[in-house]
Amino acid sequence: MAGSSTSYYFVIIGTKDNPLYEAEFGTFKQGGDGVPKFREEQRHMNQFIAHSSLDCIEDLQWASKEMYLKAVDKFNNTWVSCFLTGGNIKLLLVHDARSDEPIRQFFTDVYDMYCKTLMNPFYEVNMAIRSQIFKAAAKKYL
Amino acid sequence: MSSASRARLGEEVWKTRTDKINAELVTLTYGSVVAQLCKDLDGDYAEVNKQLDKMGYNIGLRLIEDFLAKSNMQQKCANFRDTADVISKVGFKMFLNITPTIANWNSDGKQFSLLFDENPLADFVELPDDGKAQAELWYSNMLCGVIRGALEMVQMQVDAHFVSDLLRGHDTTEMKITLVRYIDDELPQDDE
Amino acid sequence: MVMVIMAIQLTGINRVVYAVLILNKAGGLIYQRDFNPGLQKLSSNDYLILAGTFHGQVSLASAARAQVHAITSQISPTNETTSSGLEVLESENFVMRCFQTLTGTKFLVFAEPRQPNLDVVVRRVYELYADYVMKNPFYQIEMPIRSEGFDRHLAAYIKPHQ
Repeated sequence: MAGSSTSYYFVIIGTKDNPLYEAEFGTFKQGGDGVPKFREEQRHMNQFIAHSSLDCIEDLQWASKEMYLKAVDKFNNTWVSCFLTGGNIKLLLVHDARSDEPIRQFFTDVYDMYCKTLMNPFYEVNMAIRSQIFKAAAKKYL
Repeated sequence: MSSASRARLGEEVWKTRTDKINAELVTLTYGSVVAQLCKDLDGDYAEVNKQLDKMGYNIGLRLIEDFLAKSNMQQKCANFRDTADVISKVGFKMFLNITPTIANWNSDGKQFSLLFDENPLADFVELPDDGKAQAELWYSNMLCGVIRGALEMVQMQVDAHFVSDLLRGHDTTEMKITLVRYIDDELPQDDE
Repeated sequence: MVMVIMAIQLTGINRVVYAVLILNKAGGLIYQRDFNPGLQKLSSNDYLILAGTFHGQVSLASAARAQVHAITSQISPTNETTSSGLEVLESENFVMRCFQTLTGTKFLVFAEPRQPNLDVVVRRVYELYADYVMKNPFYQIEMPIRSEGFDRHLAAYIKPHQ
């Protein structure tokens, strides 16, 4: 994976380690077009990497007072960053370059949107999210 | 009373005589009522609409007294146009802090529409995408019942229903209110 | 009058309200409470009859029916069609203020003669009614009021120092 074509895999994990929302996107910085440039085999790997980081997160979550746990796991050149909500919903971002601050801002925005989703009376915790609003946050920060 | 002074009255009652509570609490409370009805009635949205209207009706029967006591209105409205103005500028203002636009009067002055630019009940709401709700559920239908109940207590029988809703993807949220008749007798109405 | 003066001394305030009655729109008595001595005690049945009679008077006055034209023209000598009926009744022993809401509910306040601002009192009673009676979801509309909260707040307003 070349640095110039940074790509992201973003997933929201529910309280039963079930995925609620998945998205792939490329960087929007430095003239990026937002299109993910993962190689085909990497796309499956992303899911495994995200999944395997859950154990790390469970170890880490009680050690930190912050909701943003920063980069929690690394596999080859691929990082996993995590934001853990009070309701034990995990926001995971798989990325290939460490950059804590923009990711923190991205997570904060996504968390805000997740809260609004949760305010919808017809939405229940752990229900899959179909809305595509999270892409807007990616466009802003990543 | 002029339209402008009604707007002032609504503003004043809202500012000085209304206890406020957190808007999210209201939105969530109303939302869970609707969602629970949808669940209990197994997605029979026509029935959900009906139940919401009924609940609203029972609220309206009671709320009218609060409205009259707080707004200190002692004069009957001269005509239905005045009634519409009072509903929008005083009623909705003091209870929901919104002032829906009055539009689409028919020729005999017995039917008008309220256009809701904002609707505090429907913040954050996305209708379930089961293929039915978008076509059948009037999410804020309780408001229709409130208006029907409240006006009935002041001797007006009306029909109120939504004809469009932003939640369904329409361009506006519009409620149509039609005067059926003025009630002459002073017999008590049945409490549903 | 002696009794009234005593009441003033006892309460230490200058507002002496003898009683509050509330009538539903059919003329049924749904609330009756005495606050100060000064009116003759009536049996509960007499109160019901009083309420019914009064309701008849007011609604007839406002409806201006032909057979009681003599009464209405006395009570409402100006424009009968817009009259809301009897509003104040004064005698040398008491004054009665009636307030009819647009929904048809009537509030009657009996007080010491020459009591000022009775309209303010009656409106406040209406507000308390809207708050503690109508907003109680278990109150059945048009039925007799048995609400401790309403009793308490009404007493606190009318006899604040006891």
